[in-house]
Amino acid sequence: MGLDRRKAAVFGGAFALRLLLLVLFPSLPDLLTGRVEVSTPVTSFKRLQEGLFLYTRNVSPYDGGVFHQAPLLLPIFSLLPTSQAFLFPTVVLYSLIDLLNANALVRISESGWAVSGRSYSATRKHIRWDGVTVAAWYLFNPFTIATCLGRSTAVFTSTGILYAISSAVTGKAFNSMLALGFASYLSIYPALLFIPLMLLCYDQRAQTAKSCPSTAVFALQHLAIFLLSIVGLLGVSSLLIGDFKAFMSATYGFQLLVPDLTPNVGLWWYFFIEIFDSFREFFLGVFWLHLASYMGGLTIRLRRQPLFVLSSLLGIFAVFKPYPSISDASLYFALLPLYRHLFPLMRYTFFAVSALLYATLLGPAFYHLWIYAGSGNANFFYAITLVWSLGLSILLADTIFAALRDEWEHDNPGVRGKDVKQV
Amino acid sequence: MATPAALPPLPFNPSRVRSYVLRLPLFTRLVLLAIILFWLFELQTVWSVVQWGSLIPEEIGIGTMYRLNTYPFIHVGFFHAFLNLLAVTPLLERFEAEHGTLTAVALFFGPLSTFPAGLYILFEKFALHRNTAVTGASVWVFLLLGSEAIRTFKSNPYFSLGPYKIPTWTSPLFACGLVSILVPNTSLLGHLCAIFVGYLLGLGYLKVLVPPEWGLRWVEGKLNLLGRLPHYVSVDQKTYGRYGVLPTTNAGGERATPMSYLGSSQRLASIRKLRSNPHFLFVHLPHILSFICIVAGVVWLLLLPLNDYSRQTYISENALLPGQVHAYFSGSEQHIFRGYKKELEAILTSQTPEGQESRSDEYTPVVSDKIQSILRAAGLKVATQKYEYTSSGITHQGQNVYAIIQAPRGDATEAIVLVAAWKTVDDELNLNGVSLALTLAGYFKRWSLWSKDIIFLFPPDSKSGTQAWIDAYHDMQPAFVQPLPLKSGALQGGLVIEYPFDHRFESLHILYDGVNGQLPNLDLFNTAVSIAGGQMGIGSNLQEMWDHDDSYERRLQTILRGMVKQGFGYATGAHSSFMPYHIDAITLQPKGEGWQDEMALGRTIEGLCRSLNNLLEHLHQSFFFYLLMQTNRFVSIGTYLPSAMLIAVNFTIMAIALWLRTGYYAGSKQSIVTPSASADEKKEAYVETTKSDASTAQPAIKPDTNSIRERHLALPLTLVVSLHLLGLIPLYIFNNISHQYYPSATYASIVLNAVLPVVLAASLTHGLTTPREPHQYLLIKSFSLLVLGLFLSTLATLNFSLSFMIGLLCTPLSFVNRIDPQTTSGPVRYVLSVLGLAFLNVLSPPIVLLGACWYFGVDVETVLTQAAFGWDVWGMWTQVVVWCVWWPAWVIGCALLGFSLF
Repeated sequence: MGLDRRKAAVFGGAFALRLLLLVLFPSLPDLLTGRVEVSTPVTSFKRLQEGLFLYTRNVSPYDGGVFHQAPLLLPIFSLLPTSQAFLFPTVVLYSLIDLLNANALVRISESGWAVSGRSYSATRKHIRWDGVTVAAWYLFNPFTIATCLGRSTAVFTSTGILYAISSAVTGKAFNSMLALGFASYLSIYPALLFIPLMLLCYDQRAQTAKSCPSTAVFALQHLAIFLLSIVGLLGVSSLLIGDFKAFMSATYGFQLLVPDLTPNVGLWWYFFIEIFDSFREFFLGVFWLHLASYMGGLTIRLRRQPLFVLSSLLGIFAVFKPYPSISDASLYFALLPLYRHLFPLMRYTFFAVSALLYATLLGPAFYHLWIYAGSGNANFFYAITLVWSLGLSILLADTIFAALRDEWEHDNPGVRGKDVKQV
Repeated sequence: MATPAALPPLPFNPSRVRSYVLRLPLFTRLVLLAIILFWLFELQTVWSVVQWGSLIPEEIGIGTMYRLNTYPFIHVGFFHAFLNLLAVTPLLERFEAEHGTLTAVALFFGPLSTFPAGLYILFEKFALHRNTAVTGASVWVFLLLGSEAIRTFKSNPYFSLGPYKIPTWTSPLFACGLVSILVPNTSLLGHLCAIFVGYLLGLGYLKVLVPPEWGLRWVEGKLNLLGRLPHYVSVDQKTYGRYGVLPTTNAGGERATPMSYLGSSQRLASIRKLRSNPHFLFVHLPHILSFICIVAGVVWLLLLPLNDYSRQTYISENALLPGQVHAYFSGSEQHIFRGYKKELEAILTSQTPEGQESRSDEYTPVVSDKIQSILRAAGLKVATQKYEYTSSGITHQGQNVYAIIQAPRGDATEAIVLVAAWKTVDDELNLNGVSLALTLAGYFKRWSLWSKDIIFLFPPDSKSGTQAWIDAYHDMQPAFVQPLPLKSGALQGGLVIEYPFDHRFESLHILYDGVNGQLPNLDLFNTAVSIAGGQMGIGSNLQEMWDHDDSYERRLQTILRGMVKQGFGYATGAHSSFMPYHIDAITLQPKGEGWQDEMALGRTIEGLCRSLNNLLEHLHQSFFFYLLMQTNRFVSIGTYLPSAMLIAVNFTIMAIALWLRTGYYAGSKQSIVTPSASADEKKEAYVETTKSDASTAQPAIKPDTNSIRERHLALPLTLVVSLHLLGLIPLYIFNNISHQYYPSATYASIVLNAVLPVVLAASLTHGLTTPREPHQYLLIKSFSLLVLGLFLSTLATLNFSLSFMIGLLCTPLSFVNRIDPQTTSGPVRYVLSVLGLAFLNVLSPPIVLLGACWYFGVDVETVLTQAAFGWDVWGMWTQVVVWCVWWPAWVIGCALLGFSLF
């Protein structure tokens, strides 16, 4: 096959750009690490440093209630030189992880599952970008670059998810479940992707294999693999930390119960600041239920396009997660170019993109007015996070509309070009 | 499309109302208009329309006969006018449609007004000997009701109400009675007279007064009234029925009819009209809207100085209690002040070499030591800090001296800063100011009432010293600034004292602008004004407005001066450096020749310190965003922000419109050659390929579903993004070269700016092999304006004035387009684009800079050195906005014109 020149250029360029930014603006990583848009309590690199400090001094990293990330990150990062003194190795590590993610994207794109699956094939499948272009959209997305330089640990979750998908579309169902287990171990929410991912694996198997495996057996097998991988990772973690209960409540308990209401780009923090404490549990349940409910509906409705369900769910998570950051949005934006064939059917792209751009600029400005200048208040920033969520939601709704429309045209070839009404 | 095919039928069909209103005939329209106009006219208070035109029996004479005709148009209030309008419209419309416009004019301006009036006057004046004025169109209502009633009577003589038979001609009398019972202040007699005349009209006795039909026809035919006047009802076409002759405006066609059920207003009709005219909708309307936004933004700003839009200042934070305490700084303190001054003067004379007068006011180590020893002697903790800044090849260095009074009643968590720089903002020796601060230090030390630490800071100059100190206070200092050995708590406020002359002063000039246009809390400014004015009797000035007579012009001038300072974002004094750390600070400058001495200034400062000392929390109550127009008037952000936002929104509107235009509407050149009738169909074809209607009359050009017509985004996006990144190069150059090269760099950039867009256009036109479509030019402009609007609206929340100024300078960019070679012939195109380029070049950033320098009479080198100093030391962001927001947008605007050259 030889070395693909374009791919090498894109990957090399992205890597060089990250290093160039680091060299030109040495204070940029620290600035980005401190931004609430990039770092959330569960992905912050600063908190990881704190945990690492405690870990290397043989104190439980969860003491002090600052560190809330999975324990396996600690031995990995303790191998690196301290980031205070040596910024370079950490940034190189994160850049390499970005390249890995991009590589997974290339594979997903080249498999062609985004345009045609087992029981469905898009009507405009000739309009598509190749893998390198999709990777370039991901690698040169400013949100991705900011996440990379901000060294948010959310990129590891992204890697898990992207590898789970890329393994699934290339027929490595076992690897896929392992990768999803890894992602779910790092931050719980990817577990919600299990069912659509399993369906994707099943479709892949059914398409390539001569005989269809039994659905129930297949599902049980993969559920077992998924659960075992999580159990295995948790087992290793408890060996590492010792106090199993403390680490569970500090990581998963923290992610589920949302006790830290540091501002972020999501919708939860302001709501839970305002809510009366007696209703907190109730609304916590409602919010989680709301987040989880999309999975069932989308999976059933778009059964024939499991990959699209996965992408849309990632977009929904970026809006409705308890601790979202721009890294979640960048993961969603990474998968969107796979659906180049849907773009002609989308109607509000410009408005969604404008809303996102406005939010991107006004968010930091209003945060500055609130926190530093003292002349604004929390409502300024919250209003902008609403705009951000609105932009993402419009984009989501628009792509889902386009996918449904495409499916409809596929089913009814006579209606191509007809007016439709969305009800 | 979201056109519902069938909505449940409404009981009250709005589309009929609309078509009814649209089809009102001419005379009815004029009458309605006249009634509304007279009502609006009555709103003013100077001249009473009712007095002028109503029917007052006593007033009727030869000269006032006009009243017999004017009174039906005049009403005494909104409800009077409104109810009469509702009542008279259907009746009058019916009459006119039946008899023709000319007849209606002749009758209603003649007998049908004057007869009831005459009758009424007859009864009122001569029978009843009263003088009740009547007015309003109700006379016509009852008159027409009367005539209608007679006609009904002819065909249908009786109501049967049980055994009783009521003649139908009495119905107006019942109505009249009901109205006079229910509605107050109605003239029963007037209505009765009207009904009587109406009966006469209905019975045909007034036929003699109707002008002969042949005459009317002749007039009509000669003047071609039917062709000239819209909604005109011809005299002889009444045979076609009441509405048959009326022109229909409903030219939209059948397609849009279901839409009309959605709304009831004329707005919908006009929108539908727009839909059928895409050229207007996508090309003209955005320009109009943008222009309106710009004009509204500017007018909004000009309205601000009016009393209705500005507010009186007030102290919002109750804890401040300005001027409520007695100031004791007087008497013997003056001797101490003079003593310190003499000591400092002695040092100054001693450090002047013989026969050399220059630089005798240098801040030498001797001076610094003297200040330190005085402060130490007063019992304060003293420390020093050395700093050194280099900017544009100039080194600024010095040593700050500062001392802290620890609060007898506090816990060192909060502090107030008093700054007396050795050199004032204008580079004068601030000898009195420093002596006063030293005196105050000793004086404050003796008081036991301080609950906040007081820090006395003596920087050698007003530009860099405070910046170094405040950076180090928050441990944010760069490497070449020493950290502070001695610190106190969170700073709550800062006061800068300047007193650079020896004579007595008249008023206080208060400086309040901070770096990047940040302002201190308005409460601090208000406290200073109120203590100076209320307690000490010292007037205050702001923005160098020495003779402010509170007129509109002066207020506007003050606002504009404030905006210019805020927009440039430079530090206006030693206090400006405090602002980025959210510490409110002002500078007090004595000005003029008067009878206030340094002790009055000292007492003012004492009062201010006492007020700040009272604070329970950081100043937060009052406004942080305001425009001051007088020491006691301001506008707050909610009132003034829309003006900058409107300017920013104009770019966004244009960007959205251009985007829509590239997708929905093929462009102007095709629609020019196609007749407007087919424009609708053509638009349909482009609405979106997926939506293209199968019933469109041109199935041949209907695009195939799979051949997607898409926008080519790559080139426009790349161009816009790379130009914005390219802005970093001039930003770097103008902040980093040595100061003596600034003028030449400016001239070089002017030349480069003139050449760059043309080169860009040429290289893009000839250099690229890919065929470019015309819509790419629109997309380039769309993205560029989108980004510009985005940045400016964000900037408006941070620095209103800068956003406003840049927005105003960029307004031509909304209207600059590539001149299409297919619609404009060669020479015209070249001339137009060269003229446009010349005009835009006048508005290029470096030329605007030169123009501003020439206007303010300052040197370009000084300005740019100052700007680079601001960037390096103060953290000023103005250049970033200029080079990374304004300049790229400007280059793209020029490049669009440049494209039309090739």
